[in-house]
Amino acid sequence: MNPQIYELGDSALTIEFGNEISGNLHQEVMKRFYQFQSVPLPGTLDLIPAYASLTIVFDLGVVASRFQGLKGMKTLIEEKLAEPFSAVIPEGRLHEIPCLYEGPDLAFVASNCGLSEADVIRIHSEKEYHVFFLGFLPGFAYMGTTDERITVARKEKPVTIQAGDIGLAGNQTGIYPSASPGGWQIIGRTQNIPHFRAGDRVRFIPVPA
Amino acid sequence: MKLIKKGLLDTWQSLPIYGLQHEGIPPGGAMDIFSLQIANALVGNDVYDKALEMHFPAGVYQFEKSTLLAVCGADFTACLDNVSIPMNQPIKVPPGAILSFAKPVSGQRVYVATRPLTDEQVSRVKILPWSMNPENVFTDEPIRILCGREWDQIKACSQQLVLSKSFGISPTSNRMGYQLVQEPLKMVSTSSMLSSAVTAGTIQLLPSGQLVVLLAGHQTTGGYPRLAHVISADLPRLAQKGPGDSLRFTLTDPTTAEYEWIFIQNYLQQVRNVCALKLSQHRFDHR
Repeated sequence: MNPQIYELGDSALTIEFGNEISGNLHQEVMKRFYQFQSVPLPGTLDLIPAYASLTIVFDLGVVASRFQGLKGMKTLIEEKLAEPFSAVIPEGRLHEIPCLYEGPDLAFVASNCGLSEADVIRIHSEKEYHVFFLGFLPGFAYMGTTDERITVARKEKPVTIQAGDIGLAGNQTGIYPSASPGGWQIIGRTQNIPHFRAGDRVRFIPVPA
Repeated sequence: MKLIKKGLLDTWQSLPIYGLQHEGIPPGGAMDIFSLQIANALVGNDVYDKALEMHFPAGVYQFEKSTLLAVCGADFTACLDNVSIPMNQPIKVPPGAILSFAKPVSGQRVYVATRPLTDEQVSRVKILPWSMNPENVFTDEPIRILCGREWDQIKACSQQLVLSKSFGISPTSNRMGYQLVQEPLKMVSTSSMLSSAVTAGTIQLLPSGQLVVLLAGHQTTGGYPRLAHVISADLPRLAQKGPGDSLRFTLTDPTTAEYEWIFIQNYLQQVRNVCALKLSQHRFDHR
């Protein structure tokens, strides 16, 4: 499928590669992230990768006065996307994160999924996760995808979550880098919060209390 | 400046700082970057300098050194030693003077820019004889929006409602965004969306059918339908509205959005030039 480019307000363009969470789509997002990072388009202020899209935030003054606005940038992006691209995509680093599986929602997740707590811990810790992007809070990494046996809905009402808490939401998992209200189901915690980058890999290592 | 009494939400803010959104770090910055820049220009600060952003009740501050001061944005009846001072005008302040705000008159956020006067000992409050009048920006016209990616996901009657009714601003609104109050909008269909980037000005549709407009303190990504986007040129005006005010929206086009932004940038550059010239003339005359 050809990527679609659409305006996000008057000073950003989003390149949408698809509408699902998949490793291949995300690979394409990261490839373009590094392309536009190594050779930035004029007026670029920010590049924001997400699951299946890359958003470029522009300095409106620059693109409006010198490049026929977003319309001009859209044409430029189309040209860049058509060019063969061979920049080096950094290999994602592997983070092994010690996790104390004693979260307040572990029992709920287990009963909701028809599993024992030990099963939830085993299933959550045996898979290697992919960091799709950072968002929500500074340094909050959206990781996935989790095994479908431990898929669980968000809480209806957000509660206060502590820094280092590890949670589940849908088929995603993540670590809260700072205390915040949040709706994720907290199954464990860690004191080791690495500096994540999109494209990194993550493994949770169960540690005894 | 020494803090005498803390306000509701006093923070030092600059222009937004871009370049870290891929780390989940939003650009932040002042809510009303127009008033911020006027205040900085009036005292001869750099365009990237910080100014104090305050809400009502605002803090009380005491000056420790001779300072050049400008108060812009919301009118909270700024006072020096309990005597009211004009807004949008540079003022020389002696050490020991106390800045306070007596009564909210209009707007939501006041900006206080300061610059220490190192080569001058000020002995009494002195209002310099020039000012900037930003009334042409803070009009009561409807807020201009561009259609968002999911605009067509609400029914035509709901689209009509957005463009014709006036919206209230919920008291739960903050620097992250304004929650708008109106009858709930109706979706054509509910399809789940993947999270992707959002910007200041993005108008999201919550599952309740209510709207939220993201502002300076917004998160970098979001997963709610993006109905529309407030144009950048109208964000300062929006940031001066608050609970109790009503909002109307009107559709515009990208060309107008670009033109209006350039217009404001040119105006700000003129203000900076004029202020720099006036300040240097003043320094020359008072050597």
